[in-house]
Amino acid sequence: MAQKKVDVLIIGSGHTGGMAAKILTEKGISCTMLDAGPMLNFEKDRELKPVNELPYRGFDAPGRLPHVFQASEFNANFWVDEKTSPYYHPPEQPYNWVRVRSVGGRSPVWGRQSFRLSDYEFKSKDHDGFGENWPVSLKDLAPYYSRVEEIFRVTGHTDGLPQYPDGNFIEDKSPWSGAMQRFVDAGKKIGVPVTKPRSSLGKDGMAASLNLLLPDAVATGKLTMIPNAIVRQITVDKNTGLADGVLFIDRHSHREMKLKARVVIVAAGTLETTRLLMLSEICNSSGALGHYLTDQIYGAGIICSVPEARDGKAPHGLMGGGALIPRFRNLETKSNGFLRGYAVNVSCSNGPFDSRTLPFYGKELDQKLESYNGSGFSTNIMGETLGHYENHVTLNKQVVDAWGIPTLNIYTKYTANETNMTKDYIDTMAAMAEAAGFEVMVKNYEFNPPGYSIHEQGTARMSDDPKKGVVNKWNQSHDMKNLFISDASVFVCAGWQNPTITMCALAMRASEYLAEEMRKGNV
Amino acid sequence: MKRRDFVKGLAVATVTAGAAAGQQSGSQAQNPPPAPNATDQGTMAVQPSAASSSRARSRVEEMAHFHTPNIPVTQPDLLATTDARYFTAVRYATLVHLCEILMPAGDDVPSAIKAGTPEFLDFYIGASPADQQAMYNDGLDRLNADCLKQCSVPFAKADAKQADSVIRPHLRGWMNDHPPREGHVRFINLAHRDIRTATINSPAWAIAAEASGERTPGVGLYWHPIDPGIQTWVSHAVEQATPTNKHKHA
Repeated sequence: MAQKKVDVLIIGSGHTGGMAAKILTEKGISCTMLDAGPMLNFEKDRELKPVNELPYRGFDAPGRLPHVFQASEFNANFWVDEKTSPYYHPPEQPYNWVRVRSVGGRSPVWGRQSFRLSDYEFKSKDHDGFGENWPVSLKDLAPYYSRVEEIFRVTGHTDGLPQYPDGNFIEDKSPWSGAMQRFVDAGKKIGVPVTKPRSSLGKDGMAASLNLLLPDAVATGKLTMIPNAIVRQITVDKNTGLADGVLFIDRHSHREMKLKARVVIVAAGTLETTRLLMLSEICNSSGALGHYLTDQIYGAGIICSVPEARDGKAPHGLMGGGALIPRFRNLETKSNGFLRGYAVNVSCSNGPFDSRTLPFYGKELDQKLESYNGSGFSTNIMGETLGHYENHVTLNKQVVDAWGIPTLNIYTKYTANETNMTKDYIDTMAAMAEAAGFEVMVKNYEFNPPGYSIHEQGTARMSDDPKKGVVNKWNQSHDMKNLFISDASVFVCAGWQNPTITMCALAMRASEYLAEEMRKGNV
Repeated sequence: MKRRDFVKGLAVATVTAGAAAGQQSGSQAQNPPPAPNATDQGTMAVQPSAASSSRARSRVEEMAHFHTPNIPVTQPDLLATTDARYFTAVRYATLVHLCEILMPAGDDVPSAIKAGTPEFLDFYIGASPADQQAMYNDGLDRLNADCLKQCSVPFAKADAKQADSVIRPHLRGWMNDHPPREGHVRFINLAHRDIRTATINSPAWAIAAEASGERTPGVGLYWHPIDPGIQTWVSHAVEQATPTNKHKHA
């Protein structure tokens, strides 16, 4: 069969690959999408089961997914198995690389928190001197944010806070529960804003590439999808120096195939994207490829009990609901001991109390659980980490994956900045909880290892300066104008925000730019 | 017969002719292809020595529409038991008593022992990574040693008060993925979590819930292996297919 040269080849089918496919196909441009994993079949692949019928009573197979704290025996088969796709980190520098390989990527398990970055992030160097500014501002992205929010059906409350830019929301007008109102009031006294959460409603319980983006691309008749295609190299035309296609390996047979393309969009997910560029030995004239890896700290928090809600005595409306505390440190004043800031997820539960919180056992524990039932109040941090040059990845040619492709070494660690930030967070939240009249039962100052948040960003950052970044402000490679990167590897800093909405806004903007450049014949 | 089936039939004839010419001997000659009417198209596609027929095609279509009969199945835990084989006798006795102390029977639910939790944990820890095994072995030893030192009885023989004196000082409240770090405190709190989890999620508790009219506990959305394929045992086809170099040709 004669080899076909496709117009736009998209590597990866998660949120940003899906967005690129939607925008480009709707403009009449044919796209071919490769994904390293299989097509999902929700009817066949999933089943409601009681935990007592699982082989390990909910524990999962011993030692199976040591880096995926999110894994349970119910969903273990959804995550990438490190035996087939290993990676390395030094023992003293743990890194949880949490991956999914199936059509839709990680988008089906997205937590759906939906935030815009502010100019405190886009122009962070101007604000505190660390790192670099992004080559874009909130003003540049605002129109795209609005369109993404409409697609994802983002619900939220308009707050008018510069560090928490408002958006195109389905307005959340729900009242606070009584306990939450007490926490809001406690925050006001010390200048901590407690706001409504912002999240994507999506549709049918999901806000994934699979159900919000890819169907629109399919409807155009312009999308060709090839699952089980593990790209091992982006190929380059020796005459032009431009990308001209890929070599990929069929996941099942391990047969290598080549596919020619006019334009390549890499949307494989931050570290897989960078790994592929390294494998292809392209896009690194800046020397920045693989560096400035960053994400957010999660895991530290407090657990409280609302005394009035114990023993089944909670009056109607006292408990329930969630809140979001946007960054409030290092805005107009400077905090001691750390740069940037953190946000806080707040949850007020009228459900069962976590038994781990209560230092009792046997019948005494049962009595405590009954008493504390419906009185839980907890907070969790989302703190910005700093993308130091030293936080980087390299290729490991000694260890290959199941398809013979070199793997990644990941070298990253948190510093005193994250530790000090976490201490400030715990102490501030505990003070607010106590002021609200809650019993603080657990304070956990320990955060999860890097990578846990599944918000890995950087390693192919954007910059106007080809010596400082891998792509320009349009997500276009400085080294080859027909290669675009649409995922979070292009991020310059992490912010405290869940990156998905920003990733999608950038991918939408880049795709429209690409379409116009193709129309003009520039790409 | 459609044209492509006819072409495959010709190919079969060619192969058979080759075999008849002496390229093959033994097994193929002794095991002739199955009768055409017993072979479906799929078999024919992968085994050209087979042939096709309309009857075979209709049979495979019929099988494709076959629905699994509803045959009730039983969980092995309801009938069979597991012998403890990982922990030493002393450690296992300590674990059994720890299960009894931490999770006795409730009004409507069986104890950890009745739920088979000690046997399950013996199996599970025995299959776990070395650091997990070490934590349990060291923790059970320490628990027994503390009891002997403080109460002059092995933990397995301790009464409720004696057991409490070596457990309670180490209990902590904790959250998420952050159990206490200090060795023995970590063991006590993680063993407590494991015993509770293995018991609450046991078939015995599910039966008790059903008996008391509660809905089935712990129902979740289980992901089966997704198109698992053969990725774990085909190794590096590309590497294997590296062309032989000139030296090797020579």
